[in-house]
Amino acid sequence: MSELTGWLLDVYAGETGLTVWLLDDEGSRHCLSQAFSTAFYVAGNSSHLRAVWRWFSSQPEPVCLSRTERHDLFVGPTTVLAVECKHPVGLPRLFQRLSRAFPSLAYYDADIPLSLRYTAAFGVFPLGRVRAEMQGNSICSIAPLSSPWDLDPAWPPVRTLSLEPDCDPSHAEPKGLFLSYDGHRYHQPLNPHRALLVNLRSILERHDPDLLLTAWGDTWLLPYLLKLSTQAGLPLPLNRDPAGRITRKDQRTYYAYGQVVYRGAQVLLSGRWHVDVCNAVMYHDYGLEGVLELARITSLPVQTAARVSPGTGISSMQILTALRRGVLVPYHKQQAEGPKTILDLLHSDMGGLVYQPTVGLHTDVAEVDFVSMYPSVMSHFNISPETIVPGRRQPETGLPVTRPERGLVPETLEPLLQKRLALKSALLTLPKWDPRRKRYLAWAAAYKWLLVTCFGYLGYKNARFGRIEAHEAVTAYGREALLRAKEAAEDLGGDVLHLYVDGMWVKKPGWRTPGDFQPLLDSILERTGLPIALDGVYRWVAFLPSRVDKRVPVANRYFGVFKNGEIKARGIELRRRDTPAFIRETQQAILEILAKALDANCIPAVLPEAQALIRRRLVDLRSGQIPLEKLIVRQTLSRELDRYRSPSPAAIAARQLAEAGKHLRPGQSVRFVYTLGKPGIRAWDLAGETDPRTVNIKEYRKLLLRAVETVLSPFRENGFLQEGIPIMLPSMQKTSRTASCLLSTA
Amino acid sequence: MGRTLPTISHQFSEAEASFSRFRRALRRSDQVALDDLFASARQHLAAAAYAAHVLPFETFLLSMLLEEHKELIRLRQRVEKQ
Repeated sequence: MSELTGWLLDVYAGETGLTVWLLDDEGSRHCLSQAFSTAFYVAGNSSHLRAVWRWFSSQPEPVCLSRTERHDLFVGPTTVLAVECKHPVGLPRLFQRLSRAFPSLAYYDADIPLSLRYTAAFGVFPLGRVRAEMQGNSICSIAPLSSPWDLDPAWPPVRTLSLEPDCDPSHAEPKGLFLSYDGHRYHQPLNPHRALLVNLRSILERHDPDLLLTAWGDTWLLPYLLKLSTQAGLPLPLNRDPAGRITRKDQRTYYAYGQVVYRGAQVLLSGRWHVDVCNAVMYHDYGLEGVLELARITSLPVQTAARVSPGTGISSMQILTALRRGVLVPYHKQQAEGPKTILDLLHSDMGGLVYQPTVGLHTDVAEVDFVSMYPSVMSHFNISPETIVPGRRQPETGLPVTRPERGLVPETLEPLLQKRLALKSALLTLPKWDPRRKRYLAWAAAYKWLLVTCFGYLGYKNARFGRIEAHEAVTAYGREALLRAKEAAEDLGGDVLHLYVDGMWVKKPGWRTPGDFQPLLDSILERTGLPIALDGVYRWVAFLPSRVDKRVPVANRYFGVFKNGEIKARGIELRRRDTPAFIRETQQAILEILAKALDANCIPAVLPEAQALIRRRLVDLRSGQIPLEKLIVRQTLSRELDRYRSPSPAAIAARQLAEAGKHLRPGQSVRFVYTLGKPGIRAWDLAGETDPRTVNIKEYRKLLLRAVETVLSPFRENGFLQEGIPIMLPSMQKTSRTASCLLSTA
Repeated sequence: MGRTLPTISHQFSEAEASFSRFRRALRRSDQVALDDLFASARQHLAAAAYAAHVLPFETFLLSMLLEEHKELIRLRQRVEKQ
């Protein structure tokens, strides 16, 4: 018997039991095995269950059958048939055959990722510290030495090998790879293939990386290398586990949150992680730090955590809570929405409160936000699919009624909410140079996504622990909280400019500093019980009207500058992904100039600088000084090409690519430049260079002026300038113009 | 929300559209005034959504009346000041 302390790297099904990878304190990697039986459950009437029992005796896999009572979240104690498999590797296939033979029965715990079962059984989790006792190469017992909720966990010294082709393979044929590991970085040509394979192989063996961090590894690089290796007859040890397999998954396109999303194919390794930064979900948002933290808290293997949506992450955490509590995890959700009257539907089928802001420029405005409002509501009011009492409402408020027992969803959320709050408050005090800052920011971003999707999953019809009544209850409490916040502000004499789901914009004459708004925050906390924070006090903020009808305000189109000089903008060009860099940068630069004014009264002093900038940028555009890359428009394809009735610019560009043999799928983005003549579009990724002389200057001038108009319009009176020609601004320099007339709408 | 029941903005657009024949037959100057009324009602869509009234158009009418009354107060104050 020997003992080992270190980190858990990975767990997956081995030939007989589990394969467990540990990294010990001395830095050695251990590939160990562990016996681990897994169970799933079948429910149905007794004659059906007897038939299932008989069916199992004719199957080759050895299973242990028993009748037992388990807890169904919605039904309560339920008698089920427990099917225990000695070898976890065989369970998926066995279950597939069973469910095909008996499609009408209810199944539980049938498709739970092995790593979740492992965490539920032993409390250890990916990248967590563990102590294991072993007999030879086999683990007898394993126990956690840390918690996934630690703020400063000891990190395993993971070795990384980065591989990146020298250009985007969907754009052009790469000529070589950039390799970096252990402080080395060099370029390795793809040709001759043999040299490439031999060199890669020697690095893999010598450096023995735990993590293969690639660009386009899923969609191009790894499939390419594997093909070369087969052709040349030179094995490439991408897997570290010689008995392991390389798992490949196909590309797919799906629709989520009102967007068509494209996910590339996947290549997963055994005994070594492969993370493709181009195919990892939200990588641009939280990076590798976020991915590793997700693996820790969701208990999904690192490779999976990198590739799944936050929705899968949060439902994994709910499954983990269910496993710990001994609650059955349904394979398919059984519950349908209960019947309700049309009046009930009218009152419950509502989203968050979204007001129309008071359009125009406002000074000394505070923005207060509920912190993670919907998850906090779930946690504070104990909203979970099983705690909602259907059809019952509190008599005085009309709010839904919940049972007192702690719900599964709030229990899952609580540590998440607490850690996010801890991260946020740590970030407030950490100095700028502290290395933890970057990590905490990435984690907070990852947590934010988990928390956001948790609410959506509560109402998602296929979510295992979803229930529409619970989803509706969350929005009902959310609306109530926001209205109470509004009443608190008005009772203190404040003027509410805007309300948006979980945020409120308030001003009151005389209130200028964060301290002035503290009584308001206290009052809101007291009235709602929910955590509330001051996002900041704006020197000025402008709420913009609709572009189509100036009389109509738009809920989420505004920009402003906080007292500390920080710019916040929503819904304007610089926030849109399809805005060319040239226009985005110009708009940002104008805002930065405006932010130099210490308060709104000083804006006239900085306007000439903004005008000069705009004039310079227009001259640059006309004289061809703007690099073509900065004129690229990027748009996402929303459907198959033959489904476009009147082709959008993106569809025209995609068609040009299709004619050149490059096929894009819905959800993939296409890059193009506006050009002169017909069709007025040239796909950026076509072979050959775009001729700078063909660029449609007029079109870009129009886009630029529109973006300028957006940010300057709040600073002039109506009719002061002609529509659409903000460059004719010189009259704004008039010294007679006083700040008061600039702020006429405030 | 917005899947089973139409959103408040959608109901509002429908209400506005249902009066397109009425609007068309009005004099141009009256059309402008009618558009103003609808634009003023639009400012209270959030409250109309929260009210979840069975007949949303009643809420829209009340919103128009509200804005008219605000204008009346504003004008009265100006007159009294002079």
